[in-house]
Amino acid sequence: MGSRLRLILISLVVIGSVTYLILSGVKQTGLHYMTVTELARAARPPEEGGFRLDGRVAIGTVQYDQKLPHLMFQMTDGKEMIGVVYHGLMPDAFGEGREVVVEGTFDHAARTLTASKLVTKCPSKYEAEGLGKDKT
Amino acid sequence: MSEIGRLSILLAFLCSCFAVASIAWGLRTGMAGPLKSGRRAVWVVCGLTLLAIIVLERALIARDFTFRYVAEHTSLDLPPMYAFSSLWAGQEGSLLLWLFVLSAYGAAFLWSYRKRVDPFYDAVAMVVAGVMVFFTSLLTFVSPPFRILATPPADGNGLNPLLQDPGMMIHPPILYTGYVGFIIPFAFGIAVLLMNRTGTRWIEEVRRWTLFCWMFLGFGVLLGARWAYIELGWGGYWGWDPVENASLMPWLVGTAFLHSVMVEQRRGMMKTWNVALIVLTFELSIFGTFLTRSGVLTSVHSFTESNIGPWFMGFILISSTIAAALILYRKALLESENRLDAVVSREGSFLFNNVLFLALAFATFLGTTFPVISEAVTGAKISVSAPFFNRVNVPIALALLLLTGAGPVLSWRRVTASVLRRNFLIPLFVGVLAALGGLPIGLKGIYPIVCVFGAAFVVATIVMEFARGIQARKDVAEGRGAMAVVSLVEKNKRRYGGYIVHFGMVMIFVGVLGSSVFQKESHGPLQPGESLALGPYSLKLRGVEDKPVANAQHTRAILDVTRDGKYLGPAYPAKAMYFKSQQPMTEVAIRVTPAEDLYMILGGVNDDGSASIQAYLNPLVSLIWVGGIVMVFGTLIALADRMRLKREEKLGA
Repeated sequence: MGSRLRLILISLVVIGSVTYLILSGVKQTGLHYMTVTELARAARPPEEGGFRLDGRVAIGTVQYDQKLPHLMFQMTDGKEMIGVVYHGLMPDAFGEGREVVVEGTFDHAARTLTASKLVTKCPSKYEAEGLGKDKT
Repeated sequence: MSEIGRLSILLAFLCSCFAVASIAWGLRTGMAGPLKSGRRAVWVVCGLTLLAIIVLERALIARDFTFRYVAEHTSLDLPPMYAFSSLWAGQEGSLLLWLFVLSAYGAAFLWSYRKRVDPFYDAVAMVVAGVMVFFTSLLTFVSPPFRILATPPADGNGLNPLLQDPGMMIHPPILYTGYVGFIIPFAFGIAVLLMNRTGTRWIEEVRRWTLFCWMFLGFGVLLGARWAYIELGWGGYWGWDPVENASLMPWLVGTAFLHSVMVEQRRGMMKTWNVALIVLTFELSIFGTFLTRSGVLTSVHSFTESNIGPWFMGFILISSTIAAALILYRKALLESENRLDAVVSREGSFLFNNVLFLALAFATFLGTTFPVISEAVTGAKISVSAPFFNRVNVPIALALLLLTGAGPVLSWRRVTASVLRRNFLIPLFVGVLAALGGLPIGLKGIYPIVCVFGAAFVVATIVMEFARGIQARKDVAEGRGAMAVVSLVEKNKRRYGGYIVHFGMVMIFVGVLGSSVFQKESHGPLQPGESLALGPYSLKLRGVEDKPVANAQHTRAILDVTRDGKYLGPAYPAKAMYFKSQQPMTEVAIRVTPAEDLYMILGGVNDDGSASIQAYLNPLVSLIWVGGIVMVFGTLIALADRMRLKREEKLGA
């Protein structure tokens, strides 16, 4: 067997296994990104652990018991609301009006999501609000 | 003041446009005048950028809230050093910093080749100026840093507390020194194609520039990981976050280039591939800047909402199209001089090194942009996170680790069976021994075992290489012991510098293995006097106290730490409440030893006076940081090797 042929064969094996890793990785760990409205209006509940919900913490809905710890709030995208329960410490950047991402199981009837993971978006863009117009 | 800033950016834009046009004209007509004035214009751009940076920094430090950028990112109670570093807290300032580093590289380039009269270097300067056109136009038309407020506020919005950390002062400039630096290799590559340049001298020049910025990029990535570890307070240092991936991708492709360029130098092969790699590295640097700076990452739903997104995409598209067209156009120039003789050879191992590095970069790219890709292809937004990256990238990285040991001891062209036996028998034995030794202390699972085997295997090959080198030089008899090692490294800095870099990488592998597989965690609410047990440690809560600092109120727990019953001293995990943003920030307490880090977090103080404490035991984390320093050290040694450049010069290439 020529070295060129051998090289191509080995490369194909490498590329094949990487492709397999990627495809199976997506299949097993990929999560459906959903908005609150999409989840609230979905005809049937998405399969367990297969989705990730993106939205804001609704103002005036946060209840927190630090000792348990137990965190409850409503999540919204401006149109629909969904209740979220999370058994964990409140992350630093968590707060009313902040953008959060949750993963977990959704109880369709109760419109409540029990979160296994709660991530607050890193406020790397610390955007200013209310500074007014530019001078022209 | 702001007019000076705005004007200097605008002039810089015009000057860089002029530089491109003038050099292009000079190259076309062969006239020296336009080339000279073009190069001068690049110098002027550098000066103007410096002026703009000074204007903005002055405003930041003086808290001149008439500047919108200052009002957005600083406040009166901000310590001056963080006012200084808030230059790179927002998009406009970061882009200005990008342009500044670009100018610095441009100036360094022009200065290094000031005595050379060769249109090739003018072509390089033209490409640099072309990229300057892009960034100055962004700063002029899309993301201007010198906007003035009609009604300046009495106080600014303040700096994001997460960025108020010494790590965040140095991490972005170092990272940018890496990112932006790839402009020079890119410009060389394009200039080679434009000018139909032959010879290998430019390759050695490019290798040195690449090594330099590659070192900064890698160090910057690690500093970012360290910042996350200390500041984000979740016990880890790497989460496969898009920001992290953005900085890792160019590093991966740049590493591939640094390896395959050796094949080109030695054997005149892989020329097209190398030019393509260097173009890709640069494009990924631009893409990384775009990812971290466009706001795309604050929400996956805003990929198209950012104002600079289309500009960056346009730039990447145009510049890579030009590069691809040039590569095709100059196919003959990039013709390989040799063919691969055998798969099991140094060339072969470099080839697989490249395939694996690119696979890592590709998988990382795919995972990072998956929501966008999947939405375009299937209409459903699918995202992947850490589990995906671990699943795909860990096996590839382990294959690379094994290759790190095997590659350097394979000979060029082809390998005989006796060489294989001589070079591999002992390292294989050492590797197996290490893996077996790990089993009784809880090593399990295929990847961790392969990692321990690979690490020991690589270290053994490196030690053998040093030993063999010293042995071979025994005849010359230059010193003994440590002196022999020093003189060996001095004789071939590039080679042994490379081994030191590999050794640093092995340390990082072991550090990652230890802190991910053997991490322990414990948490609970503690009343004063109660303790939390974690491994051999015991954390006893002495009490909770409030302690005001400059711009925040700290609430800290006092924990008395004992290990195996021996008192080690107090630790103070805290929560800071910043006055300006009213956002709590976790201030972790870390007890560092070479073997393990004890990482303590105060979750909060409860109504009944108890404190919620969470603690991690992270074994071998220190190896990651020390490994990074070792890598920098090894790269510096390799960079000190000027011999090859001199030799190429003598040959007159």
